[in-house]
Amino acid sequence: MPPPTIAFDAMGGDFAPAEIVRGAAQLSLETDLDIILVGDAPRLTALLGETSHNAERIAVHHAPPSPPGASPSSSLFEAARLVAQGRADALVTAGDTGALLRACMGTMQLLPGVEKAALAAVFPTELRRGATGDPFSLILDVGASHEATGRDLVTYALMGAAYARIISRNPVPRVALLASGAGAEREHPAILEAEAELREVADIDFLGLTEVDLIPLGTADVIVTSGLLGALTTRMLEGVTQTVLDLARYAYQERLSWRLGFTMVAGFLRQLKRLTDWEEYGGAPLLGFDRVVIRADRRSQARAIANAGKVASKAVVRGVPRAIAERLAPVSAEPQLAAEG
Amino acid sequence: MEVSHVYRWDLDKTYLQTDFDTLRGLLRAAREKASAKVNVAGSRALVRELQSRPGARVCIISGSPRQMRRKLEEKFRLDGVEIDELVLKPNVENFVRGRFRAIRDQVGYKLPALLEGRSRVPSTASETLFGDDAEADAFVYSIYADLVEQRLSTSELAEILERCGIYEDDAERALRLASSLQKGPPIERIFIHLDGFSPPASFHAYGRRVVPIYNYFQAAVLLLLDGHVGPISLVRLAVDLSQGYGYSLVSLANSFQDLVRRGLARAEDMAAIRLAFEANVALFDKLRPATEVIQTFVERLRMIGGLKPAAEREQRRIDYLAIIEREGPPNTWRRRRRHRATAPRPKGPPF
Repeated sequence: MPPPTIAFDAMGGDFAPAEIVRGAAQLSLETDLDIILVGDAPRLTALLGETSHNAERIAVHHAPPSPPGASPSSSLFEAARLVAQGRADALVTAGDTGALLRACMGTMQLLPGVEKAALAAVFPTELRRGATGDPFSLILDVGASHEATGRDLVTYALMGAAYARIISRNPVPRVALLASGAGAEREHPAILEAEAELREVADIDFLGLTEVDLIPLGTADVIVTSGLLGALTTRMLEGVTQTVLDLARYAYQERLSWRLGFTMVAGFLRQLKRLTDWEEYGGAPLLGFDRVVIRADRRSQARAIANAGKVASKAVVRGVPRAIAERLAPVSAEPQLAAEG
Repeated sequence: MEVSHVYRWDLDKTYLQTDFDTLRGLLRAAREKASAKVNVAGSRALVRELQSRPGARVCIISGSPRQMRRKLEEKFRLDGVEIDELVLKPNVENFVRGRFRAIRDQVGYKLPALLEGRSRVPSTASETLFGDDAEADAFVYSIYADLVEQRLSTSELAEILERCGIYEDDAERALRLASSLQKGPPIERIFIHLDGFSPPASFHAYGRRVVPIYNYFQAAVLLLLDGHVGPISLVRLAVDLSQGYGYSLVSLANSFQDLVRRGLARAEDMAAIRLAFEANVALFDKLRPATEVIQTFVERLRMIGGLKPAAEREQRRIDYLAIIEREGPPNTWRRRRRHRATAPRPKGPPF
């Protein structure tokens, strides 16, 4: 099987195109992936010329400069089109989430049974899971759409479980719904509706409702929530770790005795940084489309972009969209069966 | 037959895959049998194609010690290539005479060797040079090319050699050979194999004569366009890269796109490649149908369809002293490159 082809939206993100090019260049030296950089070709060529890369593994697809967003001629839209047409296997972008959704909706197909795509993020936890000893929980949706119905949450749960099953090699993922913890009578109806439905689903270990403070413990492998709450939760969790590390760095430089102390626990802090470093994970999969789509953080620099490419490759090789489609098939068939009945 | 064109090759990292960055690699290169030596992908096939041209002469100038001559000649015999001239470095002599700087130095060894080689061919002979990005090939070859074209005076050369810090006797020899050099036709191209993936822009200071290449398919395309090899040579090289070195069609097509983007070839040159592939269908069909091969190339070209070709860079006068000023003497470049690759983390908290 030939190595996957990854299309990078080279013009999306705070540090585009320079850091996207550097990330793709790094990937071209570290892997045998086939890379397509989509964007302003003269600019990308000039940047590649200044960067150590393997030109045998990188092609440039010209998309003329256009205002940011997903106009049909934008680099994002063009990259999505390449993936939709099967000329590339996965899309990686650090561009705006809304624009990404519009580009994917305009070019790709939502899988049967999916009404809204979901952006998934990983978060490190105390526990290890699956055959690979994966330390990460999957949280979705983290911002593809603000609101979610009960039906959407059920779909997210099934997509998240399918993803965990093939990426973390976790045969029976533990799934939980993120709730406020205010009690059933004050919980959002969509959450209660999804909870009732998920209790009936076989082949997942549904834990019921969970709360934000339980996420780092890793009791659930897949945490399902609406986009707005998911985005806020992941941002806050990232922020807490960053604050701890920032304080440690500040203290390290402040006093010699503190420096000695921090030097002794530097190994642990490095491990903490590695585990919680969003650049290390590269990107979050946008689940629900018939193609692999990875959204890297808009602040992504070369390392994060290269890692996003690796995540995309893994998702392609392991057939994430197909696995999700297979998992959703019985659910999506239900209304049709009911109608036939 | 009189020599009309000379192809001068470096050996390590240009023709052979040699690790001379580590002591272990050096020892292995010295000990391994001829049959164990590995070619840079496509180098053997390209040399075979070049040497088959009427009036062609293939010369190799290598930094390997003279004691390796027999082994290297055996390797060329195994490869089925005939080398007209093999120049090796007197490293043992340098060591015995305490000329330790000369062991690592390239300019003081290679430039006189090139000039001496030039004195053995007719002054009308044109040349194409092949080197790599590991040391200072682009620098030495460019000085040589400027001397052949008489764009560099001996006084300028003397200053450059002095700033390079080479031994006086090497500098004197180079100056003597340079002063007796007859003007020749321009050195057509200096191919630099990017073994260490140096950024191509790092060679801009040498002008358009220096052509950084990622593989010998790129060199073969340009040599085809220049009329040095025929269409069948290009196809044979592509087949060799695919069958012998695992190159995919996409990687070959990407290589061509890279040439077009860098302004070294034009999209219209695809016509010549298409003709080459179509005329040698039987060869390509061993791998894939020629139509599929062409389609892959055309698709990669279409990706940059609306792109204006990069403006061709002039072969402006090279400021060698500025290069030395900026990058230090050439004998330090390899060390500096390795240092850059393994540069320590900036000071700060260890987490």
